[in-house]
Amino acid sequence: MRLEIQSIDIHDLKPGSKTYAEDHVLYVNSKELEEILLKDRRIKSVDIHFVYPGDRVRIVNLMDVVQPRCKIDKVEADFPGFIGKMQTAGSGRTRSLRGITVLVSNPGTNRKYSALLDMSGLVAEMSRYARMKHLCIAPTISEGTEERDFEDAVKMAGLKTAVYLARGAEGHPVDEVEIYELDIPSLNKKSNLPRVAYYYQLYSPQHDHIGISDPCFYGTDVRNLTPTIIHPNEVLDGGVVGAHTIRALDTYTIQNHGVIKELYRRHGKDLIFAGVVCGVANMEPVTRSRQAMMASNLVKNVLGADGVVLTKIHGGLPHVDLALVAEECEKLGVKTAIFIQPLISYGTLADTLLFNAEAVNLIITVGATMERINIPLDAERFLGGTADTKIYCPDPIVQHAGDPVLDVEQFLIAGVHDHLGGAKIIVKEY
Amino acid sequence: MSRKKLKVVHYLNQFFGQIGGEDKADIGFMVKTGPIGPGLALQKTLGDQADVMATVICGDNYFSKNPEQAGEEGLQLIEPYHPDLFFAGPAFAAGRYGVACGAICKAVGEKFGIPVVTGMYQENPGVDLYRKYAYICKTGNSARDMAESISHMTKLAFKLVSGEKEARLVSRENLPKPEEYGYFTRVILRNEYMDKTAAERSVDKLLVKLLDKPFESEVVLPQFEKIPPPPPIKNLNTCEIVLVSDGGLVPKGNPDRLSGRGNLRWTTYEIDTFLPESFKSTDYEIAHTGYFPVQILEDPNRLVPVDIMRDLIKEGKVGKLHPSFFSTSGNATVSRRCAEMGDEMGAEIKKRGVEAVILTST
Repeated sequence: MRLEIQSIDIHDLKPGSKTYAEDHVLYVNSKELEEILLKDRRIKSVDIHFVYPGDRVRIVNLMDVVQPRCKIDKVEADFPGFIGKMQTAGSGRTRSLRGITVLVSNPGTNRKYSALLDMSGLVAEMSRYARMKHLCIAPTISEGTEERDFEDAVKMAGLKTAVYLARGAEGHPVDEVEIYELDIPSLNKKSNLPRVAYYYQLYSPQHDHIGISDPCFYGTDVRNLTPTIIHPNEVLDGGVVGAHTIRALDTYTIQNHGVIKELYRRHGKDLIFAGVVCGVANMEPVTRSRQAMMASNLVKNVLGADGVVLTKIHGGLPHVDLALVAEECEKLGVKTAIFIQPLISYGTLADTLLFNAEAVNLIITVGATMERINIPLDAERFLGGTADTKIYCPDPIVQHAGDPVLDVEQFLIAGVHDHLGGAKIIVKEY
Repeated sequence: MSRKKLKVVHYLNQFFGQIGGEDKADIGFMVKTGPIGPGLALQKTLGDQADVMATVICGDNYFSKNPEQAGEEGLQLIEPYHPDLFFAGPAFAAGRYGVACGAICKAVGEKFGIPVVTGMYQENPGVDLYRKYAYICKTGNSARDMAESISHMTKLAFKLVSGEKEARLVSRENLPKPEEYGYFTRVILRNEYMDKTAAERSVDKLLVKLLDKPFESEVVLPQFEKIPPPPPIKNLNTCEIVLVSDGGLVPKGNPDRLSGRGNLRWTTYEIDTFLPESFKSTDYEIAHTGYFPVQILEDPNRLVPVDIMRDLIKEGKVGKLHPSFFSTSGNATVSRRCAEMGDEMGAEIKKRGVEAVILTST
């Protein structure tokens, strides 16, 4: 499978009477975009705003961040299963715009873990997104639409906007071409290089909003997914998107998947990238054991891996679940490197482990995403909500977006942490 | 711009405070104006940026008899000086002195919210007791290391009062790097920026592991203590049992402010009023975000089985139900704090003469 990503660097994002790119400036006809988004009857109206680094603006109720991308040579192939027709993602040519994103807010959300982003002040120092330019969209719900149905509509509006922007840049010179090519059936089995696979924990149902899982894989939810093999390009090219809350993982992060890109970078030089097994965190011990057994078997006996990198979803249950997969891999003789996320900033690093398995002994701290931080208010304007939008704190505190200081956990800030390993963050004892 | 001179108070034991040796170790608190003994070296290192206003001295035996109370007593003497910065010791390997330095640093830090700095040798019992509350510089095991220890303590103290933002930390807090400033870590974790992504680190290290060469995990596996179970209860029908739960059951309004996640607190409620036979399900809430609490909110007995206990007592199978229920929330709380809370609760339960505990979880 061969994927060619053609990147165009966008230095500025401006309103325009039509949508096109010229000299690294993307002009956007918001009216036309609005018309496209309003074709979805679940959406009554949509607010569209341009946001720039340094703006004294706080974007709240954030549900997703998406990099503008579109397929160049295929029809209805963008984010297949979500907004495109059902087809395998990950081959052909994709246009990708760098330096800009689509910020997707759901102003009517009832979810407690909605993310925020400030374009100035302390948050702007922390978030990689604060250094980019954005088109913010915030749809409102049509009468008679169910809450969960509307959430899906908002998600798709974000994806459609990303495709719309990337299509608009057609004809602009390309700044960089990256090739992601991995022919798994013909991988060189005689190579002396170690075969390294990736175990991708895609989802955890533990916080499912009103008991319904979020669609994140070819348009469907994966609550009951048994471990399966996918091609890494499917992940990079729209087969997988973020869930309906960010929690240190959004669509942008998946499109630029840290571990997959790193394994590609070293493929053929230091290692053979043996492929990807994906699975989910399980709520129940028998299922957990069964899935761990199946996942490890795929890693060892189907992909033939010597080593595997394992990444997790936010939370404690996924931590336990992932450790069991790693333990099973080690039992089969596959060496593991496992990502963990300390759940609290109290204690030593050893205290933060939720497993006790001697063989699972190479542990990477992807970030203490629940580290608390006080954010002084710098914003004058609120998008995606208002100054009265509630912001979550695990302590029994009620706080609002316009408060002089917010006490939040870092995973609520978009663009700081990255469960897929793309952030240059480590956790240290102090 | 010249900065206002910092006001410093220094704590010493009877020996370094030049009162006397072991024969004077029972002596109580006193305060002397200006620096004394090691304080002279401290003043020299502080230079013209800070003044050692006073030296508080106390005998090691007097202090160690009741460190927490002695800490409070010391505060009375320190308060009038309104210090900006507090030093104790260094205590090197001296155990009682180390505990005293740690305890007084804890009291001063908590009361005045100023940086508190001391110094100890790694085996000093004061290190583990007080590393959470004070910046404890690593020192040698004897006063031969005095000059260097004082210099480290001063360097660290200046860093702490500087208020500099640390670009190295995601939080931008002014937290000195433990290796750079030579102090014992304070049992907290922080996110730090580094030059490689987690993905790069994982692949680098895995490749080393695959070569069967020594690799460096970012977390070293903990060694868990094996705890033998206590002997079984002989006479259950005369036994008093206490109920303990980490399911986060609290009265409506959560008056003791247990956190729904990463909670570090525990509390007790009187069962007669908290969970009477004729309870109202609207009187409760769950301070725990890790499970679906619907059934428990309908009937709290399903988390804290008071109804079953009442039946067992009526049937004569169990002697007595302890009148208080111990409540905490265990959701993403680190094992270290869980163990501490267990010790705290255990001590309280033992003090109350209760023989057995039933722990219910979610």
